[in-house]
Amino acid sequence: MKTDELIASLSADLRRVAPGAVARRVALGLGLGALGSTAVMLAWLGPRHDLAQAIATPMFWMKFGYAAVTGLILAVLLARLAKPAARAGALVAVAAIPFIVVAAMAAMRFVQAPPQAHHAMLMGHTSMICPWRIAAIGLPLLAGAVWAVRGLAPTRLRAAGLVAGGCAGALGAAVYAVACNETSAPFLAIWYTLGMILMAALGAAAGSRLLRWR
Amino acid sequence: MDEIEPRLKGLMLAGLAGEAGPYRRLLDELSGLLRAYYGRRCPPGVDAEDLVQETLIAVHTRRATYDAGQPFTAWAYAIARYKLIDALRRGRAHLRAPAEEAEALFVPAGADAAMAARDLDRVMADLPPRTRSLIRETKIEGLSTREAAERHGMTESAVKVAIHRGLKALGGKYGGDSLDED
Repeated sequence: MKTDELIASLSADLRRVAPGAVARRVALGLGLGALGSTAVMLAWLGPRHDLAQAIATPMFWMKFGYAAVTGLILAVLLARLAKPAARAGALVAVAAIPFIVVAAMAAMRFVQAPPQAHHAMLMGHTSMICPWRIAAIGLPLLAGAVWAVRGLAPTRLRAAGLVAGGCAGALGAAVYAVACNETSAPFLAIWYTLGMILMAALGAAAGSRLLRWR
Repeated sequence: MDEIEPRLKGLMLAGLAGEAGPYRRLLDELSGLLRAYYGRRCPPGVDAEDLVQETLIAVHTRRATYDAGQPFTAWAYAIARYKLIDALRRGRAHLRAPAEEAEALFVPAGADAAMAARDLDRVMADLPPRTRSLIRETKIEGLSTREAAERHGMTESAVKVAIHRGLKALGGKYGGDSLDED
């Protein structure tokens, strides 16, 4: 086909583009991914047995909130990186805030606790499996994020992959918080964060392959 | 750049609002710019016009990713560059050497020289026979002008003139820098 004819046919079927199309697509991908992740969590681990009492405690909401807020900030950043010539800008600093807040709270609880409680605070009883569970539960979210971003036009694939992974890891951690019965802030600061980092690393490594569009 | 940016951005925003006329003008102008951009950078084996078309299609199908707060030129350039890098990657994948080509490595010794001699014969085929042998003797076999003159029973200056004309004729035919040494 000649270029002139191509231009004619492209402008012939022109339809108005509603603003916010990018945000809607990212929200749809992550929303479907979250449904998948929740299904995995329910089928595999199930909600913690004392969920009814737990939702009355601040620790539950700190865990859930840390993961969910981080995930939502990264989702906004992801929508930005899904566009050509994207600039992450000040949003990177905003994304660091939940980490800093949780690390500070964890450090405070840690120094206030008696030394004989330190080991249990850091390691809980699931530290060795927690990051892996977060990553596994985050996989459907990662698939949703990849689907959404591939259909847009990322031009920095590694960065977009990193953020897609981090976002899936963080939202996956929020889903996992419903199943997890750990109760210490230092545990949260270390092992939840590690799960998110695991997914971010996976996203960065696979980004240039998974997110390539034609 | 100063005047291109506001004009293209205006056309793009009109296009996003569904106006076909300005949108078509945008793609027209963009295709010219892309042709110039890829013309200089297109990897071997890839048709620059294919890249122009691919980029126009990407601009069209992914136009929702343009947001009005951003310079249009930066957005379009990022897509053009992405498509170029993609073409370079694909080009590299296609350039794999065939497995069944041992003779490419084990060429008989001297094959290159034989090929060069054959090329030279072909290049000089149009020259008069005496000029041809004068050039061969002085420029390749290394005879002096005087030795060549004696061999052909010519004066030294007649040899120089014949060689000069012969080389000039070759230079005119095959272009490039003058072969003339005088």
